[in-house]
Amino acid sequence: MQSLLQSWVKTATSALRVVCFVHIVHTYVYEFTETRGESMLPTLAARNDYVHALKTYRDGRGCKIGDCIVAAKPNDPNHRVCKRITGMPGDIILVDPSVGTNVFNSSSAMNTEATSDGDNDGYSEADEAFNSFIKVPQGHVWVTGDNLSHSLDSRTYNSLPMGLIKGKIVAANDFNEPFLGGSKGDFWGFRKIQNTYVNEQ
Amino acid sequence: MFTRHFQGHGWRWSLVALSWLPVVVTFNENVCHIAKIEGSSMRPTLNPNECSSSSDWVLLWKFNIRNAYNLNRDDVILFKCPTDPTKTYCKRIKGIQYDSIKTRYPYPREIVNIPRSHLWVEGDNVFHSVDSNDFGPISAGLAIGKVIKVIWPPSRWGTDVKSTTGRQQLITNQAD
Repeated sequence: MQSLLQSWVKTATSALRVVCFVHIVHTYVYEFTETRGESMLPTLAARNDYVHALKTYRDGRGCKIGDCIVAAKPNDPNHRVCKRITGMPGDIILVDPSVGTNVFNSSSAMNTEATSDGDNDGYSEADEAFNSFIKVPQGHVWVTGDNLSHSLDSRTYNSLPMGLIKGKIVAANDFNEPFLGGSKGDFWGFRKIQNTYVNEQ
Repeated sequence: MFTRHFQGHGWRWSLVALSWLPVVVTFNENVCHIAKIEGSSMRPTLNPNECSSSSDWVLLWKFNIRNAYNLNRDDVILFKCPTDPTKTYCKRIKGIQYDSIKTRYPYPREIVNIPRSHLWVEGDNVFHSVDSNDFGPISAGLAIGKVIKVIWPPSRWGTDVKSTTGRQQLITNQAD
């Protein structure tokens, strides 16, 4: 009886230590985890895609424009999002030229005004959308999904504080692919996630 | 023979101690931790004396801290500074999600609506505090822990962290 109890305690404490060790590694060093959602297509598949995230980039340490990051969602911190950094502190960002400016509170007033004018004075929604700029504050980054038309990102919740960044995605495995000879690469579509930033100057 | 046995034992025990280190760190990161309060922004609740050698040490509660129902108005929290993630600030929550708050000078608008899962934080020492009036509402994801007790120095035991609460009557029903 005594020895049974002892062995149970031993197993339980070992399990606790292992779980905590894995947790520490997942928080500070490296994590291999699934991503879901269409916002990062075509870089990451909508489902069954697993990413290798380096947690040493926590809090935005060493993150550059063009990097793919995992972060806590500002308006729902228990969920994590995977986005690409498209603006660093001090950058001036054109918020979203593709749609009307529903990012701002004033947008509805602007839109109705523009439509009621019938665009007579050449002032249209598109002009307004091309004129809304924002400066990324210190310690924040601007993040967007690669699939701009299906992504909830900085265009809705504004710039993301670096404190919410959990890590940087360096590679991914797509388990929709065969083990060898898939279109994305061998070993279940293993490929590196590159920094896509191109300096045009 | 005896020394070899002893050395083996010491090696074994240090390994066992090392294997418990992640447990301690996990506990401190996710459940409970202590922190030293620096600066005067929470005076008179924390660090009431001018003398810098008498910094307060506080007990932080961290478990499940990011859930909205665990962060209430007038709680004192530690959070990562939104403008510099390497710094940690200690402030009092003056508004939770969906509140309308009357702001103070540096903030560009008079009344602000707090978005979902965001907090309005201010220091008790209103005029010596860099707070939400400078950087706006913060995401609850930046919260590190809630101050529940002052544990050092002993003369400060039993301090009620809610005895004074800074600026009053901030919540308004008026939408902007």
